[in-house]
Amino acid sequence: MNPVIGYTAIIVVALASALIGFYGLRVSRTTSDFYVASRTVRPWWNASAIGGEYLSAASFLGIAGLILLTGSAALWFPIGYTAGYLMLLLFVAAPLRRSGAYTIPDFTEARLESAWARRVTSLLVIVIGWFYIVPQLQGAALTVRITTGLPAWAGSLAVAVIVAVVVAAGGMRSITFVQAFQFWLKLTALAVPVFVVLLVVNGGEPPAQLTPAEAFPAAAGPGDLDVYRTVSLMVALLFGTLGLPHVLVRFYTNPDGVAARRTTVIVLVLLSVFYLFPTAFGFLGRAFAPDLAEPGQSDALILLLPDRLVPGPVGQLLTALVIAGAFAAFLSTSSGLVVSLAGVISQDLLGGSVRGFRIAAVISTFVPLVVALATESTGLAGSVGLVFAFTASTLAPMLILGIWWRGLTARGAVAGMLTGAVLSGAAILGGGALAAWAPGIRPFLEQPAAWTVPLAVLVTVLVSRTDRRGAPRGADAFLTRLHVPEAARHRGTA
Amino acid sequence: MSDDGRADAAGPAGPAGPAGPPRRADAVGPQPPARVRVTAPHAGSPGASARPHPHAGREAPTSDIAGVYVRSLIRSQLRLGIVFAVGFAVATALFVLAIALVPQLDTTFVIGVPLSWLLLGAGVYPLAITVGALYVRAASRNEARYRSLVEEE
Repeated sequence: MNPVIGYTAIIVVALASALIGFYGLRVSRTTSDFYVASRTVRPWWNASAIGGEYLSAASFLGIAGLILLTGSAALWFPIGYTAGYLMLLLFVAAPLRRSGAYTIPDFTEARLESAWARRVTSLLVIVIGWFYIVPQLQGAALTVRITTGLPAWAGSLAVAVIVAVVVAAGGMRSITFVQAFQFWLKLTALAVPVFVVLLVVNGGEPPAQLTPAEAFPAAAGPGDLDVYRTVSLMVALLFGTLGLPHVLVRFYTNPDGVAARRTTVIVLVLLSVFYLFPTAFGFLGRAFAPDLAEPGQSDALILLLPDRLVPGPVGQLLTALVIAGAFAAFLSTSSGLVVSLAGVISQDLLGGSVRGFRIAAVISTFVPLVVALATESTGLAGSVGLVFAFTASTLAPMLILGIWWRGLTARGAVAGMLTGAVLSGAAILGGGALAAWAPGIRPFLEQPAAWTVPLAVLVTVLVSRTDRRGAPRGADAFLTRLHVPEAARHRGTA
Repeated sequence: MSDDGRADAAGPAGPAGPAGPPRRADAVGPQPPARVRVTAPHAGSPGASARPHPHAGREAPTSDIAGVYVRSLIRSQLRLGIVFAVGFAVATALFVLAIALVPQLDTTFVIGVPLSWLLLGAGVYPLAITVGALYVRAASRNEARYRSLVEEE
C-alpha cells in the first residue's frame, strides 16, 4: 500500500478534528460549558455526537474483522451495541437527564448520599474508561503500521497526543461539534467504499476467491448458535451500554427528559444504519479476502479490502477514506472517554477547576497509552466486549436499581459494585489460566456477564435489604425528581 | 401542595441555563461569573445537600395524594420499560429461532450471501427502532396522565 495515502488521510483527520475543536474554544468559556456544553445541544446534533463518540475502533474495524474470522456469531456484536441504546432508553435516559447530575459519581452521591459510594463509583468509571481507551490506541497502532509502515507505537502515541491536546484546550462544547462531525465522517467512510466495491465486484472482476457456499458455510451460520455465549454477550452489551461514562455524560446535554428520549431513538436509527456497512465489509471479506482470516490480521480487513478490489486511483482514494474514518473512530471515542474521565478525576481529586480538568485530561490519556504500548491487541471487538461485561456487572445494576428502586442503600450499591468488579474482573484477567485447568468452564469465563450481572444485582438487593440504616432520607424526593416530567415540575412551582 | 415543595427543593440543581451560575456564585465567592463552578458539589461541602434535599425527604408525604401519584407514575413507567424490554428479547429470540429452523435460508443466496446471514445481519435493527419509538409514545402518555392528575388537584 502506498504510504503517502496513509499519511495524508491521518494528517487531514487530525487537523480537521483539532480545528473544529479549537473553533469551539471560542464559545467554551465557563466550567458549565466545559462539562456539558450548557445543555443547549439539539437532539439531532446530540444523537450524532453520541454516535460519533460511541462508534469506536471495535465498531469501525473490529466487527468486520470478527465476521471474517468467526462467521455469523460476530453479527451479535453490532446488534448488542445498538440494542444497548434501547435499554438505555427504557430504563435510564429520561430519569438520568432529570437527575441533574453531571457524571455517574455525581448521580451516585446524590442518590445514595454517601461519599463512599461516590468514591467506589469514580474508581470504577476511571478503570472502565482506561480499559476502553486501550483498544482505541491499539487500533490506531494497527492502522498506522499497515497504512504507513511506521512502527505501531507511533499510531498509539499520535492519537493520545491529539486527544490530550484537544480535550485539554477545548473542553466539551467543542467536542460535541467534533463528535457529530466524526459520526458522519465514519458513516461516509464506510458507506462509500461499500457501494463502490459492490459496483465493481458486481461486474465480476476481480472474481470472488471462494464460492458463496464455501465463504458462508452453514457451520458458521446463524443456525449454529452457541446459546450460552450469545445470551451472555447480549447481557454484557445491552447492560454495558448503560454504564459507559462517555455515553451517559452526553445525556446531560439534552434540554429535558423528553428530549433525552428523542435523542436516544435517533441514536438507535443512526447506529442501525451505520452497522449495516461494517457487516457488509465482513461479508465481502469472507468471499474476497479469506487469506486475512487470522487473529491479529482480520481487524485490518476494512483498511485493505478497497485497494485490493478497486484498481487505480479510485481504490487509493477509497483507502484514504477508510483510514480517515478509522482515525476518526479512534480520536472520537478516546476524546469522549478522556472528557468524562477528566471530569471525574478533576472533580474528585483536583478541586473541579478548569486547570484541574486540563491536568486530568493529560493523566487520563497517559495511563491507557502505557497499557496499550505494553500489551498487544487480541481482536478489537472482543476486548471492547469484555469492557462492556465489566461495566454491565458494576455500574449498570447500581444505576438501574438507583433509578427504579427506592430501597437501594449505599452499602448495597457498594457491595454489588465490588462483587461485580471482582467476579467479572477475575474472569476476564484470570480466565485464560483457569480455563486451561478446567476446559469445561471456558465459555463461562470468556463471556462472564450472564452470571456476574445477576450475582451483582442479587448482592446489591440483599445487602440493601439487610442494611439497618435503611434507604437514604432523600430517596423519595430524588426518585420524584427523576420521574416527574419537567413540565409538571414547573407548573407545580408556578 | 407538598409535591410542589419537593420540586422546589430540587430546583436549584436543575437545568443550569442562564439562571444556574449566578445562584452558585454566591456560594463560591467573589469570582467573576464567567468562571463559576456549576459542577456537582463535593462530598461534605455545604452545598452537597442542595440536590436531594434531606428535609424534603423527611417531609415527603407517604400518605399524601401527591406522593401516591408519583409512586404510581414510577411503577407504571417501570412496568412499561420491563414489558418493552421483554417484548424485544422475546421477538429477537423468535426471529433467530425462525432463521435457525429454516435450513433453506442457508442455501438461498442473494448477491452471494445466504439469506440467513443477511436476515440476522440486518433484521434485528428495525425491531429495536420500532420498540424504541413505541416506548417513547407510551412513556409520554404515562407522563401526560400524571400531569393531568396533578393539575386536577
